Amino acid sequence: MDNNLLEIREVTKSFNNSIVVDKLSFMVNGGETFGLLGPNGAGKTTMMRMIMNILRPDSGEILYNDEQRHKIKGLHFGYLPEERGLYPRATVMQMLIYFGTLNNLTRHKAQVEAIRYLDRLGMVDFTNAKINQLSKGMQQKIQLVAAFLHDPAVLILDEPFAGLDPINQVVLREILDEYKKSKKILIVSTHQMEQAEKLCDHICLINQAQVILDGTISSVKKKYRENAYFIESDQPMPILHELKEVDIIEEKNNAYKFSIANKNLSIGELLSKLKGKIKIKKFEIVEPSLHDIFIRLIQEQTAASN
Amino acid sequence: MKNLLRIARWEFNTRIRARSFIFNTFISPLLFTAIITLPIFFFQYQPEVSTKLIGLIDLSGENIEKELQNDLNNAYRLKNGSPEYMILQVSLRGSHIYSAKLKEQTEIKSRRDSISVLYEEVKTQRNQYFRNRSLRNRANLLQSSYDRLQFLREEKELVDIELERFNVVMDSVYKQEAFKMADSLLITDVLNAYIFIPYDFMKTGEMQYHSKNPGDFLETDRFSKILQTIITERRIINDEVERSKIREWLKPIHVKRYQIFPEGQTEWNFYIQFYGPVIGVFLLFMAIFTSGGYLFSSVLLEKSNRVIEVLLSYATSRQIMGGKILGLGGLGLTQVLIWFGLTALIMSTNIIPVQKINYLTVTNGLYFLLYFSLGFLFYGAIFIAVGSLSANEYDAQQINQFLRTVAIFPVLLSLIVLAEPNSPIIKLLSYIPFLTPSFMIMRIPISSYPITTDIYITTAIMIISIVMVTVFAGKIFRVATLMQGKKPSWSEVLYWLKASSN
Repeated sequence: MDNNLLEIREVTKSFNNSIVVDKLSFMVNGGETFGLLGPNGAGKTTMMRMIMNILRPDSGEILYNDEQRHKIKGLHFGYLPEERGLYPRATVMQMLIYFGTLNNLTRHKAQVEAIRYLDRLGMVDFTNAKINQLSKGMQQKIQLVAAFLHDPAVLILDEPFAGLDPINQVVLREILDEYKKSKKILIVSTHQMEQAEKLCDHICLINQAQVILDGTISSVKKKYRENAYFIESDQPMPILHELKEVDIIEEKNNAYKFSIANKNLSIGELLSKLKGKIKIKKFEIVEPSLHDIFIRLIQEQTAASN
Repeated sequence: MKNLLRIARWEFNTRIRARSFIFNTFISPLLFTAIITLPIFFFQYQPEVSTKLIGLIDLSGENIEKELQNDLNNAYRLKNGSPEYMILQVSLRGSHIYSAKLKEQTEIKSRRDSISVLYEEVKTQRNQYFRNRSLRNRANLLQSSYDRLQFLREEKELVDIELERFNVVMDSVYKQEAFKMADSLLITDVLNAYIFIPYDFMKTGEMQYHSKNPGDFLETDRFSKILQTIITERRIINDEVERSKIREWLKPIHVKRYQIFPEGQTEWNFYIQFYGPVIGVFLLFMAIFTSGGYLFSSVLLEKSNRVIEVLLSYATSRQIMGGKILGLGGLGLTQVLIWFGLTALIMSTNIIPVQKINYLTVTNGLYFLLYFSLGFLFYGAIFIAVGSLSANEYDAQQINQFLRTVAIFPVLLSLIVLAEPNSPIIKLLSYIPFLTPSFMIMRIPISSYPITTDIYITTAIMIISIVMVTVFAGKIFRVATLMQGKKPSWSEVLYWLKASSN
């Protein structure tokens, strides 16, 4: 199956002279999990709405497989909004069938697909329950089913893990993995950087209406690597304290996080010095967490703009 | 288009089973009809338990008691045939004050009588003196009898004045005591009411009706009508007209009204002509505001629970808005058709005098559908805009309430419409889109000639207005439904309206 491609080119959107999205550009490849990240008010929701054609950009283009997004008819979206969007008095099945048929499924097909997903999420016994009788977590699952049900070409999930217990988080990840295999577009927006780090292949960080970081998780981490290392042994390593080139960042139970301050000493030389003297249990290059990168970049940009 | 129909079906299906729809379709019209017609029913058909005792204080000196009783007997009888009213002259036999005064009056009267007798005797004697010229000492006798006569005349005049004065006092005491007596009889429920007829009743025609419930228009109306006849009769008698003719002349008149239509004329009945169109307006109002209200709450609910965001990712704002209007408009039409069905059922069972209700025609039914559709589309678009703009339900309900008041306003003018359905002011008011459906639904059945031109004009005005408010609502709906928790300012709304696309 060919890869699908969603391309955002120099998209700008403003409301009442206030710029919400400013010349935003990024690309989402089918088959990857794309994380659209950013603090509150960064412009993520507006961007997502423009992708779904709920809003039109003031300028710039949104292309799906090289075609203007707003000119494509019959492109189905699956959307999980951050806050629940369900009819409180409808039953689970009534509502899923309604949403399914709005995406061109027959009533029968919508029912079959609804039961399939509800079963996977452990909700099959609640088909006749009214939405307002369900807990928040359960409602989140119904909302997810509504997004997947019709096998959309583009799936946009805003905080998909909110309210899900660990077991259902695993189930959701499995469902997303299956979806990715079909090489369709998957965009996830979340504030939980740990989840984003585990889930996403590619991230785009937006702040103050602009892209401040865009790339695969590995390239981003590589870019923001801090020259830090982690070493663990079954005995103390006083030599690390003795070497003036070594700057210990953290020390705990014979495990050390450190950086090498002086270029005269390479990591290879350091390891050879330690070799034979102590037994190394674990050694790795410390990569910054997405959370740290996120905080650092946002702080830097806020400071610069002030 | 498919999504528009799917949305329409969803809106229709979820609302048609709603309790509020069933209530508004079956219970509300019944309640409304009952509320406006029951008071009249009770007023006209009060249960007649037993003969009512009506006291009478008559100072007019016309002795109308008997005549009043006869006329009441002739006009009003209970179902068992006995008279509905019994007139009782208020008696003052038990009043000490009045008895004492009466005694005093009798004394003065007897004094006056004895003076009169004496006067007559002296007068007769003097006549004899006068005739008998041979009488000795005649001149002296004549002179002394003249003096005595003169004295008695003066005496009599004085007593007459005294009696006259006393009579005034007596009347005042009589009135006072009679009122006291009648009041006590009324309070103790011996009397149901009493009538006071003052001295100058024949001249002024003023009377008093005393009762615990003077607001009982039915009773006062009956007494005033009968007394009116009596007083007129008396006045005519005073002008020396033959009594037998008077009765004939005073025979009451019953006016039957007929309304002329191009195709003929029919008897005019206030209740049918007034209540029919008012109930019609109410039903129209109910239909527009039941389905319009659903449209409004649907937009408001989807905005507040964020379903709109999901829907907009599946369908365009035009499809959503169109679907809602179509589905809920269909719901309103269903409601109207249910009413038509019920009306047809009632007509077939002859519960109401259908043959007298000439406006229950298929053409007028179609006009009802026309003005329902126009009204629904007009108010529906406004409701969509209001629902999208409102930050919360409280704000929205205030505007909703205002619109309802505007739409029902024509009912307040229903009597004016009834008197002259095609007057310039009513015509002008029916050209205002907010009022058009209600006014036209009243005017069409009441007007004695077809108001086809006005139907064309108002339909055109409504269509133009609908296009305008729909374009307006469409722009507002597309943007404002996505806003959360914040009420947009007027400048923002104007900005959206100016923007050709977002």
